[in-house]
Amino acid sequence: MKYVDDPVKMQKEIIKRSYIIAVIPVVYSLLSGEFPTMMGLLFGIIISTLILRLRVIHIERSLNMNEKKANTFIRNRYFIEFAIYFVVLLVARKNPSLNFLATAAGLFLIKFTVIGWVILDMLKQSWQKKIDSYK
Amino acid sequence: MVEFSPDVIDTIIKAAALLGAGFAMIAGIGPGVGQGYAAGKAVEAVARDPEARGNIITTMLLGQAVAESTGVYSLVIAIVLIFTI
Repeated sequence: MKYVDDPVKMQKEIIKRSYIIAVIPVVYSLLSGEFPTMMGLLFGIIISTLILRLRVIHIERSLNMNEKKANTFIRNRYFIEFAIYFVVLLVARKNPSLNFLATAAGLFLIKFTVIGWVILDMLKQSWQKKIDSYK
Repeated sequence: MVEFSPDVIDTIIKAAALLGAGFAMIAGIGPGVGQGYAAGKAVEAVARDPEARGNIITTMLLGQAVAESTGVYSLVIAIVLIFTI
């Protein structure tokens, strides 16, 4: 995996890839006139990006603590992030100009991007091993 | 056989949905505990090898991003159960 030694570059790469993937459904929903879906997707992706950035800050802070404090700190921050997710989903459910499922999809997009990236990387490595063994 | 009126059936369905939402929210606790444990171990790893700090942060970031998704699944299910029925 590229940029594994540099968290800032890795974070930018994750965000870039998820935005590239998000362009397809956003443009499709825009062209088909489903504005709540588009708005929901954009809302979810923006919140998800901000939470990723927040998580990097929390991780960097936690590494300067002792083991027990870091454990408690990250656990507490997780529950705060969980509350943010709850508020976001609640707003998407209550607001008629936002599609709830599209917002949830937007929130999950970064996670799916990471999983897809890792799977592709593993496949690439296994193919490279096979090609090298035939040489 | 006991027959219930439509109002009673509606109340039972609503109660079951709310109970299901409550049970679904239990899944939100696990990732928090797991992430905290991973953070503790990351601190231990950085103390052992400070040069690997960047690598550890990246690995932890990817792990936490994926681990959190199960908690958000439960949240989505709970909100759907609460507000749809």
